Amino acid sequence: MKSVLTKPIADNNPIALQILGICSALAVTSSLQVAVVMSLAVIVVTGMSNLLVSLLRNQIPNSIRLIVQMTIIASLVIVVDQVLKAYAYEISKQLSVFVGLIITNCIVLGRAEAFAMKNGPKASFVDGIGNGLGYTLILLVVGFFRELLGAGKLFGYTVLPTINEGGWYEPNGLMLLPPSSFFIIGLFIWALRSWKREQIETPDFVIAPNSRTAEG
Amino acid sequence: MSIRNLLDSMEPNFHKGGKWEKWYALYEAVDTFLYQPNDRAKANAHVRDGIDLKRIMIMVWFAALPCMFWAMYNTGFQANFALSNDPSLVVDGWRAFLLPASMIDHTSLLANVYHGALYFLPVYATVFIVGGFWEVLFAMIRGHEVNEGFFVTSILFSLTLPATIPLWMVALGITFGVVVGKEVFGGTGKNFLNPALTGRAFLFFAYPAAMSGDAVWVIDGYTGATALSVAASQGMDVLTQTVAWSDAFLGNIQGSMGETSTLAIFIGAAILLTTRIASWRIMLGVLIGMAATSTLFNYIGSDSNPMFAMTPAWHLVVGGFAFGMVFMATDPVSASMTNRGRFWYGALIGFMVVLIRVVNPAFPEGMMLAILFANLFAPIFDHFVVQANIKRRLSRG
Amino acid sequence: MAKKESISRTFIVATLLCLVCGVFVAAAAVQLKPLQEANAVMNLQRNVLMAADRFDPSTDVADQWGTVEERYVDLATGRFVDAPEEGYDLDKILKNADQYTVIERSNDAAGIGRRENIVKVYVFNNANGIERIVLPMRGKGLWSTMWGFMALENDFNTVAGFTFYEHGETPGLGGEVDNPRWKAQWPGKTVYDVDGELQLTVTKAGQADSSTGYEIDGLSGATLTTNGIDGTVQYWMGENGYRAFLENLKAGDA
Repeated sequence: MKSVLTKPIADNNPIALQILGICSALAVTSSLQVAVVMSLAVIVVTGMSNLLVSLLRNQIPNSIRLIVQMTIIASLVIVVDQVLKAYAYEISKQLSVFVGLIITNCIVLGRAEAFAMKNGPKASFVDGIGNGLGYTLILLVVGFFRELLGAGKLFGYTVLPTINEGGWYEPNGLMLLPPSSFFIIGLFIWALRSWKREQIETPDFVIAPNSRTAEG
Repeated sequence: MSIRNLLDSMEPNFHKGGKWEKWYALYEAVDTFLYQPNDRAKANAHVRDGIDLKRIMIMVWFAALPCMFWAMYNTGFQANFALSNDPSLVVDGWRAFLLPASMIDHTSLLANVYHGALYFLPVYATVFIVGGFWEVLFAMIRGHEVNEGFFVTSILFSLTLPATIPLWMVALGITFGVVVGKEVFGGTGKNFLNPALTGRAFLFFAYPAAMSGDAVWVIDGYTGATALSVAASQGMDVLTQTVAWSDAFLGNIQGSMGETSTLAIFIGAAILLTTRIASWRIMLGVLIGMAATSTLFNYIGSDSNPMFAMTPAWHLVVGGFAFGMVFMATDPVSASMTNRGRFWYGALIGFMVVLIRVVNPAFPEGMMLAILFANLFAPIFDHFVVQANIKRRLSRG
Repeated sequence: MAKKESISRTFIVATLLCLVCGVFVAAAAVQLKPLQEANAVMNLQRNVLMAADRFDPSTDVADQWGTVEERYVDLATGRFVDAPEEGYDLDKILKNADQYTVIERSNDAAGIGRRENIVKVYVFNNANGIERIVLPMRGKGLWSTMWGFMALENDFNTVAGFTFYEHGETPGLGGEVDNPRWKAQWPGKTVYDVDGELQLTVTKAGQADSSTGYEIDGLSGATLTTNGIDGTVQYWMGENGYRAFLENLKAGDA
């Protein structure tokens, strides 16, 4: 059970290994605070959707199972979005459509289909939380570098005083733009696979060694 | 003892089991840079062209020499000219120590080159040292050779930078260009983007205030706008009044160091074309794409956007267009490989550069982005050309 | 019960699921709606307070709002009018041809196309009457429409504060409109000269002459956002904007 929870964090990370849910990781990581709230929202949705889908798994007709999963996920996401708007208005404004887009986050549907449909509710719930945590890990790493290098801050507190504010740090504007997440995620995957070498994919093709000449 | 003997006597230490085994890449780089390598192809090698990488890269470096010279001359000239026109400007910092009053004279060729060298050489040295460090590091870890391609990357990258860029930015830019633009994909030959442009793009987005816009040409406190930003913000009439086309062609204008003189770039182009190192198809494609697109925009016209009125001749001489066309677009690794693909690849660059310059409100210059964009499409062009070829041959029976 | 994969069974499951999810979502939305609306109002109030430099993060927004009055101004006559009976919803107004004016292109410095006939302004009162007034304005930046407030002192000529509360400009460049250091330039600047001519401008970065009292330094590296801010100010403080209204206020006749 413990491995169900921890495996998605480093060994089978939804973003770094399964390469799912990249879009929101690009969009909501310009500051750590927003990344944390987004992560919590995703953890809640993956956990709850896995739990509910697993509970219903023996009742769901095969022909409409994806629609059923989507309906459950969509309902959960709408509720989470409503709750954020009611209780964390400022952050929900910054997250804008990206909470709603958790519906299309492949991690959620992927886990519901791949795990919750085949396993019991307890294990499914833990798996959902674990995958949410794996997602969280990446968001925190990306958010950490983007906020620190892009604005000189962490959680809104100044760490590197920027030139505009009388300090010495020249902020890196690229880090404030979403594409920088690609680089950070890429470098993170590089670091992760240097550490856990079994994650390296086998090459699609190998360049053949030089052939011998006909005459030998 | 000659250098050859010295190198030979050291060589066993670098081989497997030797005490400096790890440093083999560095030894190999020095050795093959100075001398003809002894190794010969042992099997029937896959030959794309008779010329080797080293000779190509050294020729490109030579072709860039006129631009390098002009970069120093023009930077010095603009700085000296500003200094002699406005006595309130003073040279400060370390350059003041190295700059005697006799060298602040915009009529003297020597003085201009000297003053400009004080700006260009530190940038070039930084690029070379920092970029070289990464190059050697990856060569040692990955066990491949240090590639002469880096000579080209380093000079081209330096020439695309503005004169007063802080050196730490230069170091960061070349680091990104070499590591993310090239080495993560496996080194020279496996990168799909031009590493020099990748580094420049990184700086462009990370520190836009230092890389483009009105304030980029700040030498000794003197600010000037680049020709492109004048055209975009004040219109073609103002541009033609302040800058003569011939000045823009010769390079008596402000801009990134190596990009100003279209003439110097064309000398380089002549070298590259006569030695058949750069593809004329790519250059022609870029030129035609640019001319066609800008003529189309001239024809459409616009009341609110002055860039619509910029003629092809002006597009050619301002900004980084000529430099990109001759040196960046023709990079054999990131361009298309097939002849017909090369033409379309060039045309895409020409189209995109005008589109970005004219229509995009945020970026006055589009050459860098256009080339990087076309780099991504280069394999697709090749794919279509190859497929068409296969089809044709099949139908021939 | 029918088999799991039968058609009737599929319909039953689908219907039940829809019902349960529908009720669940609807209940959450209805339950939370009052809170969300209160948040939206509070957010607006906080932005108005911030523009007027009257915001104190340590206490409740509603308490600070106390004396602020929402009033409506007809820009054509430059006088206060009664609150519209149907309520005030800018989105609806800008779709109803009776309630907005199309701005000619040559006059449209802010680049907004159409302007509502009646604007909602926020008046800070004290014992002597109006203390400060907050005027909403918007204009096109580089990428987005920027929504902001300008607060004026009760001489109706001195800026008390300026803020954009919603925009989509490039982070780090145009996005620096949110930087408190940049916003700090605004208070104390003068809008009109003695002849009543609009003088307040936003210059290119680094070129503002602070001795004039009219010039705001633009954002470095963000020429087009800066132009957009200047256009916003020129339009809204000019002939077709608040100028008539402010003159009436000065004359005590609004």
